[in-house]
Amino acid sequence: MSLNFFMQNLINALQWGSFYALIALGYSMVYSILMLFNFAHGDIFMVGAYIGLGVSLVLLKVVGTGAAALVPGWVVLVATILISMFLTAFVGIIVERVGYRPLRDAPRASAAITGLMIGIILETSNILFLGGQRLAFPQLIESRTYNIGGIFITNKKIMIVVVSIGLMLALHQFVTRSRWGMAMRAMAYDFVVVPLVGVPLNTIAVMTFAIGSALAAAAGILFGLSYPVLDPYMGVSFGWKAFVAAILGGRGSIMGACIAGFMLGFIEIMTVPGIQIINRLFALNIGSNLRDLIAYSIVLAILIFRPHGLFGEPYSAKLRL
Amino acid sequence: MTGTDQATVTRGLPAAVGRLLAGVPLLGWLLGFLAAVLVERTIGDTLAQTLGLPKMPVLFGILTVSKVIAEIINAVVKNTAFDPALLVHIPAALVYLSVVYLLPIAAVARLGARAANRAAAIMDRWNLTIPAAVHIGLMYLTLHIWAAMSDYRLITLKITLIAVLLTLSLNIINGYMGEFSCSHPGFMAVGAYMSSLFTVGLFVDDKVLGKALMPWALDFLTFPLALIFGGICASVAALLVAIPSFKTRGDYLAIISLAFLFIIKSLFENLQGLGGARGIAGQPDWAALPVIFVVVGLGIWSINNFVTSTYGKALNAVRDDELAAEAMTVNTRQAKMTAFLVGAFWAGIAGGLLAHVVRYINPAMFGIQKLAEVLAMVYFGGLNSVYGSIVGAVSISLLGEALRPLEILKWIIIPLMLILVMIYRPTGLVAFRDFDLREAMKPKTEPGQRK
Amino acid sequence: MALLRVEHMTHYFGGLRAVSDYNLEIAPGQIIGLIGPNGAGKTTVFNLLTGIHRPSEGRILLDGEEITGLAPHHIAGRGLGRTFQNLCLWRHMSVLDHVRMAHYAKISYGLMGAFFGTAKRYRQEAEIERRSRELLELVGIGHLADQGVLNLPYGAQRRVELARALAVDPKVLFLDEPTVGMTPEELVQMMNIIRQLHEQLGLAIFLIEHRLKMVMELCHRIQTLVFGEVIAEGTPAEIQGNPQVIEAYLGKETVE
Ligand SMILES: Nc1ncnc2c1ncn2[C@@H]1O[C@H](COP(=O)(O)OP(=O)(O)OP(=O)(O)O)[C@@H](O)[C@H]1O
Ligand SMILES: [Mg+2]
Repeated sequence: MSLNFFMQNLINALQWGSFYALIALGYSMVYSILMLFNFAHGDIFMVGAYIGLGVSLVLLKVVGTGAAALVPGWVVLVATILISMFLTAFVGIIVERVGYRPLRDAPRASAAITGLMIGIILETSNILFLGGQRLAFPQLIESRTYNIGGIFITNKKIMIVVVSIGLMLALHQFVTRSRWGMAMRAMAYDFVVVPLVGVPLNTIAVMTFAIGSALAAAAGILFGLSYPVLDPYMGVSFGWKAFVAAILGGRGSIMGACIAGFMLGFIEIMTVPGIQIINRLFALNIGSNLRDLIAYSIVLAILIFRPHGLFGEPYSAKLRL
Repeated sequence: MTGTDQATVTRGLPAAVGRLLAGVPLLGWLLGFLAAVLVERTIGDTLAQTLGLPKMPVLFGILTVSKVIAEIINAVVKNTAFDPALLVHIPAALVYLSVVYLLPIAAVARLGARAANRAAAIMDRWNLTIPAAVHIGLMYLTLHIWAAMSDYRLITLKITLIAVLLTLSLNIINGYMGEFSCSHPGFMAVGAYMSSLFTVGLFVDDKVLGKALMPWALDFLTFPLALIFGGICASVAALLVAIPSFKTRGDYLAIISLAFLFIIKSLFENLQGLGGARGIAGQPDWAALPVIFVVVGLGIWSINNFVTSTYGKALNAVRDDELAAEAMTVNTRQAKMTAFLVGAFWAGIAGGLLAHVVRYINPAMFGIQKLAEVLAMVYFGGLNSVYGSIVGAVSISLLGEALRPLEILKWIIIPLMLILVMIYRPTGLVAFRDFDLREAMKPKTEPGQRK
Repeated sequence: MALLRVEHMTHYFGGLRAVSDYNLEIAPGQIIGLIGPNGAGKTTVFNLLTGIHRPSEGRILLDGEEITGLAPHHIAGRGLGRTFQNLCLWRHMSVLDHVRMAHYAKISYGLMGAFFGTAKRYRQEAEIERRSRELLELVGIGHLADQGVLNLPYGAQRRVELARALAVDPKVLFLDEPTVGMTPEELVQMMNIIRQLHEQLGLAIFLIEHRLKMVMELCHRIQTLVFGEVIAEGTPAEIQGNPQVIEAYLGKETVE
């Protein structure tokens, strides 16, 4: 494999991994606070993408398109991302209120079921209201391709990676610097500390859901920009994979979620060229549609040897019944 | 109960009906149902015609009602034409339900209560097998007559029975043992594929699996072998999940089993020898109702035997406090392994049955959607309970069928119901209840009559 | 010959030396007491002997056979029954099922019996039930057999644990603060039960207890553990008079 080819795939992997990382963050944050996974999160990603679609269409109508536009496309994009993140945060808050708060003392498995069911409701509502067709996401910025030493990079890919990493850094700042962020970390560390910090559990839970959902919305829009077709079930496959990334990173670990998200993207993107190379080297004929199989086998292997993921704390509580 | 006690006397029609029907033993109810299906067989068609229904309602009239509601919704939302005459179908269906089912059941149960109680009391003194055979025979007879009236009923009943087995097998792991396993659809897939490999590969000419290897007139007699083969293969697959999972505690199993589900599905998608994404079709039609009834019955019986034995109760101990279980001589690892493999075995059997009922299989049938469905059945019905699994599987399957005309709305109604159950009864509707056949078949004391 | 014998047992939790060079010898029918301030490592000693932790160094012999490093259920099966300091009951199980469960190692009807209900299974289960009810009678809660454990008063829950520990047919019975949190009335009853068990069954008992009066009354020998080390061992009278013990332990707490 030439270096160029590798770099090319590496950039694709970074972009692909950004989506996983942003979504995985939502899983991990909720886990660190409530010790349970929000299985509706993948569908919140889907809802975020659709909200982004709606917001961008409205904005485009207001400011106009093409040469007559009042503001350049990137302004619309930034506005779309911010507004959608804000709106999707409320979706997350509603999910917490309706699905998780009433189950605070219930077995964790029951909460998991509730999350799954909320996810199904979100998908169905989408089909119900939008008719279930696949919708095209407007291309807010013009696509440009740069050729850097034989590697082709589009401005969108760069933007996606930069925005994702920017959001992660912002989250990091928030969690380590702000009072709420500190309360969140204290909470993740130990339930008992929180009243001392002076922020009630419910506030923190709501905030975690809001932030996680906002990040998922950002992922949804970035996804829409690069793969401009949305469908109601996009959250299912993406969500579960991001969930796997969150586990791989270590339950509840924010840094772990980011790194594992990128790692999963890398594994998924790299298996195809990897298979090609193996085929060439050993004169085999392995189909490249084995991608999922191989990617998950690698993940499984990692988890078998590191049961707590890359950055997770050993954790031995059982599902409460 | 003393009739004069004011506090216990409740008013209203439901209470009156409840009082009227208290003291009817299981035998009485079964006879009532038998009477109802016999009534339907004789007058069902005529009654439906008289009431202006297009044909005999297939699911007690619920389906008819939801069809009308669906038409109304379509008329409102999509502006399609709506025939007001359809509205008559709702009261008609209710009348049908009452005349064909409710009244005969109530009448026979009530009038026959004394005789049924006497019979139950006599049988109670005998060895368990005789009353069990009588009850189960009656039940089968009723179901058989009911299902024989339409193909739709037959397939719904078959799939519901299979769902009961599947749900119960998952309940062993998620309910009795308190772990959270996500790989059940995968085990089902293994069972379905392997039993199909057995039947289609050996006895059927097929594009994917080639010519029949053993053309033989009595080939259907090998069906149990095919099922067991599928079940054992599923157990072997389960071993792959269990070995790494039970080393660590916590929700580790949930994650490993989820990854396993993805892997197994994508494996079947890629195994061209097994039809790839298109799967295998043309399974012989061997999964007749009696076969399914017997297999599911055996499954329930043996699983119930297992969970009531000390070996099975050990799962509860492991769930509630694993350390204490170890300290009380329980080999927790062995107990967990056994339960997991048994659960997978029956899931494999359920998969094999399903493959031979719908007569085609493909990897897409065994994905996350199936997982959500079977989890819904387990948690809706109730953890740690055979009754719960029956209730969960039957109600979710029947509801799914009955709400089918509402199309997509169904996928809002069922999840909402499940969320409500989770909020108000987090462990499900009939959780933690022992299934005791003898207890269920005991005669009941009628109100106002002393023991 | 000693029934239970521990030689030079040491255990580290990470860098913390929780137990150091611990030795013990329990003869048949003896009651040994283990006292010491909070966090001294008493429960850790129990956990080491019952296999929950594997000792970093040292040997444990039960009835002359080495049991160091065996899985807890094997050790329990060879005759170490224990109770827990903080009750470890199975919340969804009945009292009777608790005691039955502790017969796990003794059942031999196998999976065939479990799935198909063989005659052997019903025979064994009936026998286990009979024995379990006997044990419940022995600790005085026979009438509660069919109740769930969660609804029981605290004292009764402790007795369930005791009956459960007896069901493994212990050669040595380990009791970790059996009277903690009990009312004076429950306390007296518990003491009587322990004494009765000792007299009727001739059981050897290894007892952790904070209430010194009880230890002094019941035990033949007493070990005093401080920071994981045994600083004194002897008869109750010796311990009572030992200045080290008084300084480390008795000095801080008033003898009841
Ligand atoms: N699993 C463990 N991992 C790490 N440290 C432990 C563990 N179990 C106990 N410890 C530590 O070992 C020390 C001894 O604890 P232990 O519970 O044995 O004390 P104890 O004598 O039983 O006290 P108490 O009278 O309060 O019951 C304590 O400092 C405790 O924090
Ligand atoms: Mg202690």
